[in-house]
Amino acid sequence: MHAVDQKEESVFQRVVLKNASPFHYMKVHLVLENETTRLTAVELKHFIISGLKTLHGEVGAALNVDVLKYDDDTLTALLRVSSRGLVKLWSSLTLLGSYQNQACAFRVLQVSPFLLALSGNSRELQLD
Amino acid sequence: MSVFMDLNVLFSPDRNRLQGVIETAAHLGFSTVAINYVFEPSSKKKQEVPVPCPISELIDQLPVVQGRSRPIRVLNRLTVLMSDSSHFRPSAPEYRRFDLLAVQPTTEKLFHAACMLYDVDIVCISVTEKLPFIFKRYTIANAVCLMDSCKGKNVILSSAAEKALELRGPYDVTNLGLLFGLSDGDAKEAVSSTCRAVLLHAETRRTASGIIYTSRIQQEALHDSDCRFRLT
Repeated sequence: MHAVDQKEESVFQRVVLKNASPFHYMKVHLVLENETTRLTAVELKHFIISGLKTLHGEVGAALNVDVLKYDDDTLTALLRVSSRGLVKLWSSLTLLGSYQNQACAFRVLQVSPFLLALSGNSRELQLD
Repeated sequence: MSVFMDLNVLFSPDRNRLQGVIETAAHLGFSTVAINYVFEPSSKKKQEVPVPCPISELIDQLPVVQGRSRPIRVLNRLTVLMSDSSHFRPSAPEYRRFDLLAVQPTTEKLFHAACMLYDVDIVCISVTEKLPFIFKRYTIANAVCLMDSCKGKNVILSSAAEKALELRGPYDVTNLGLLFGLSDGDAKEAVSSTCRAVLLHAETRRTASGIIYTSRIQQEALHDSDCRFRLT
């Protein structure tokens, strides 16, 4: 009885997380001048690491970049990188201009610290 | 939401290529694009300022910008390469056909004069002059120097793209701004609100501080053609 009458004092604890996720995930699409060229996942990773090396040197090349998913028909890949290395990776993808003497461009479709956020893309919604 | 603009798309006589660039820019999310005609006056032979091609001739239907319901806006820009102060004539009538005026000085004295005196919208600094990519380190070094000296304010980043594959999305360019030493806010402004400020400056320059502009209206009955002033 005593326990029911007595109001329990609720204690609130507020937790604010800054940079909660140690990784950032990027969905990228490689556009090549010759649209029939295909790359394997290993070639793609090598290409990305070479871009990092060109722009950021050995420190950039040592960055842990993982290709989590790769669709070799559409040349779309899901990359994972540690949050400290996001700016380095993104800038080297932006400045990569040629693959085996043909012009290319990396189109970054989505970037998020949470992998679940990459499942929905509001840019693909049709505007009537 | 902010509008992103790319104020430097190099003009090429190949219509298909230019159309491809404009469509790619719309797909990437740029709301406004400016076609840049580069003009290099030389004292040896008399050169004419290029006449901009009307947009309706370039592309039939302007593509809709991804994420918005409006079509992309295409403007004309003129860049005058200056190696002498007589190269740029402030109120030449040929300049009126262009929406944006830019000046690219090659000497420091001209740069100073351009920033202080000349009535232009953009002062252009070329950090790379079509050198092979080995010289990329100078691009970044020069850009960092520039950002240092101007404290990152009133800077715009643009592509100078000739092909559709040379364009990059607005957030990619924002990220590059971080690489050049801009802060987060300044880097995004370099692609959006500073570009909008350039467009507004151009409008005020063309219309006497944005108050009065003249427009020729069709005269059906009258024989003499006169311009009417309209106050806005």
